[in-house]
Amino acid sequence: MKDFVFNHNNPSVLHLDINSCFATIEQQANPFLRGKPIVVAAYDSPSGCIVAPSVEAKKLGMKVGMRVKEARLIDPKVIVVTPDPPKYRAVHLRLRKILEDYAPSVVPKSIDEFVLDLKGTPLFERLGVLAIAKEIKNRINTEVGEWIRVSVGIAPNRYLAKTAAGMQKPDGLVVIDHENVDEKYQQLALRDLCGIKTNNIVRLNSVGIFTVADFFQANLETLKAAFQSVVGYYWYMRLKGYEVDDVVFARRSYSNSFSPPQALVNLEEIAPILQKLTEKMSFRMRRGGYVGRGVHVSVLYRDYSFWHQGQTQTEVLFDGRDIYKVAYKLLSKSVFRKPVHTLAVSAFGLEKKGKLQLSLVADVPKKDRLVKAVDTINETWGDFVVSPLRMLSAKSLIADRIAFGGIKELEEFILQDTGVTPVSHNV
Amino acid sequence: MIQKLGIPVSVTLHFDHKTRQVIPTEVLFEGHLHQIVKVGFHHTYRVGRTLFHVFSVVSETLFFKLVLNTDTLSWNLEEIADDETD
Repeated sequence: MKDFVFNHNNPSVLHLDINSCFATIEQQANPFLRGKPIVVAAYDSPSGCIVAPSVEAKKLGMKVGMRVKEARLIDPKVIVVTPDPPKYRAVHLRLRKILEDYAPSVVPKSIDEFVLDLKGTPLFERLGVLAIAKEIKNRINTEVGEWIRVSVGIAPNRYLAKTAAGMQKPDGLVVIDHENVDEKYQQLALRDLCGIKTNNIVRLNSVGIFTVADFFQANLETLKAAFQSVVGYYWYMRLKGYEVDDVVFARRSYSNSFSPPQALVNLEEIAPILQKLTEKMSFRMRRGGYVGRGVHVSVLYRDYSFWHQGQTQTEVLFDGRDIYKVAYKLLSKSVFRKPVHTLAVSAFGLEKKGKLQLSLVADVPKKDRLVKAVDTINETWGDFVVSPLRMLSAKSLIADRIAFGGIKELEEFILQDTGVTPVSHNV
Repeated sequence: MIQKLGIPVSVTLHFDHKTRQVIPTEVLFEGHLHQIVKVGFHHTYRVGRTLFHVFSVVSETLFFKLVLNTDTLSWNLEEIADDETD
């Protein structure tokens, strides 16, 4: 195959990323936190895991995944804030509304990342992508919050737009196109590329590729030899600015997990948490219009050993009580009696809910009606107003959280028109 | 220091029909009337069908997280913080 040159089309893909998302939003909400090192941590306790350090905290060396006590060793005065998911979802939805004014298709990649392709839109033809990006940044400042800073990357494909967004933080605006691609690649190390970590670096080194510029210049045969699969072709096209990542994966499972703050060992202690996880997960699955064919339970113990088991059922599962029975049976098969770090339960083998298969043993339509009635009560009066007695002791546990990376949960939050919408601004 | 409270509180709310902006202007907390100088962020969430409006606001010295229950039209002070670090 003849070697490709870098894509000469005008870059039309825009990747937008909120800098230090949760921490920045907390600083927007509370102006006293601005300019200070703050961390958003799962719990405000010494072993609470940091999920988002602010820009100022990052400069001091605080990172995602660190413990609060480690951050306090760096700066004893660091401010710890616990997550407030409704606030973060509100920012996500406001950003989405702004972006939808510029492109017909806005793809959220996570709670703080969006991709939009402006190609063929009237504004793109008239203003150009750079002017649009600047306008979006201004609108975010005025319509969402003056402290919300975003990095924008512009390139001919999604991958390079994301790479560009990561090159200048915070508040960046970077374009990668055929005119500056050599210069931009000179500024990157292989490890800076999303998807290239130790194993892939070893693969690339084995064929004489040591820099991003080498990677870009390499021909297709070399990359095929390095990756030993079609992945080599994808990298070849990606780095030359052609689109290979425009893929939306369908939902394949629903899952919920929880890391109990105390060291739980016995099945009786874990059962209420398993029940609550199952209720949460099955409710989300039903609201999404799915039924499941299988249940999977996994446990990460505090010594970092891991156990998991799954089971496929002959009947479809939609009732949390049935899923719990399967999950409990699976969990009881674990021979380990060790303190649990993280417990997760998921339903797989998803099917869109159609007409339910009748059973000789159970009255499926009656169960379906009962589950619907309970769901309606809970939707009207609040989550878990009606819930199994077993999860009573876990009622206050398992707080609302936002999944890392994934955006599937965002399908579950619909833009709600509340009539008069108060606007936050200076008084 | 950030303190979680969850207590009823008195709030004065101002609505401007021309700009359609709604702004809490005063909070009566522990006998002191605090003038709101800035609204940091406003958002909503639902518990069941009940819609709650959350106003994150600051006076000269304090941060307040005020929550309006639109069913009962009552205000709760969920969180308070001062300008000092922990």
